[in-house]
Amino acid sequence: MVDRERAAEQVYQPAEDSHLLAETAADELGDLPADTRVVDVGTGSGYVAAQVGDATGVDVLGVDISPIAVREARDHGVSVVRSNLLDGLAGPLDVVLFNPPYLPTDPDAEWDDWMEYALSGGPDGRRAVDPFLDDLPRVLAEDGRAFLLVSSLTDVEAVTERAAANGLAARELAEESFPFERLVVLELRHA
Amino acid sequence: MKESLMDILCCPLDKQELELEVVRRDEEEILDGRLVCTECDEEYPIEEGIPNLLPPDMREGAPA
Repeated sequence: MVDRERAAEQVYQPAEDSHLLAETAADELGDLPADTRVVDVGTGSGYVAAQVGDATGVDVLGVDISPIAVREARDHGVSVVRSNLLDGLAGPLDVVLFNPPYLPTDPDAEWDDWMEYALSGGPDGRRAVDPFLDDLPRVLAEDGRAFLLVSSLTDVEAVTERAAANGLAARELAEESFPFERLVVLELRHA
Repeated sequence: MKESLMDILCCPLDKQELELEVVRRDEEEILDGRLVCTECDEEYPIEEGIPNLLPPDMREGAPA
């Protein structure tokens, strides 16, 4: 078992963004055939993977770069692989979920623990989102769908443009406003 | 990891297929073993049921 206290300090725990992504994906997907390939990138505690797994009846694979996160997600009953984004995955994947780190951070600030890494989106907030979008077309099935959570802090238009440059069409599926930001769930498909 | 996962895993370096070497397993899944790239021969460990598909230079230590 993971040391609970350590995991809570070092692994991103479910928050508003996780809930919005999980609910939106669950509503959109409904029941899925058991052999549907669903992957949750940056799964953290495994919350989104577990929720979407329950809602769809599919065993969702959780992926995370953090050794502490993959152990915690596995403790929550989620199948896991340790990988940087989609690097260790081959397609075709039917559904890809991603709640990325998106908080813009000072370029001089160094992250030195896994929680900071889980939150830090780099100077423009798109440190993880950009390479994800660049690699997604490689693994996404022809009629596959990706659900990406983004924030107004991350510049939703820049994300949509990066997707388009990679041959992906983006569509806003859900949103929720908070005092300092607006959270959006984008659906991405091959254009 | 369940063996069926092999279908969607690949070498993170060259995206080629991996070969599974099982050291320890139970009825449901592989607990310890290795994934070896069929092209570049790089080895990726499976420990306590979790395959580690990070390239060797990213495997250890804190986030870089």
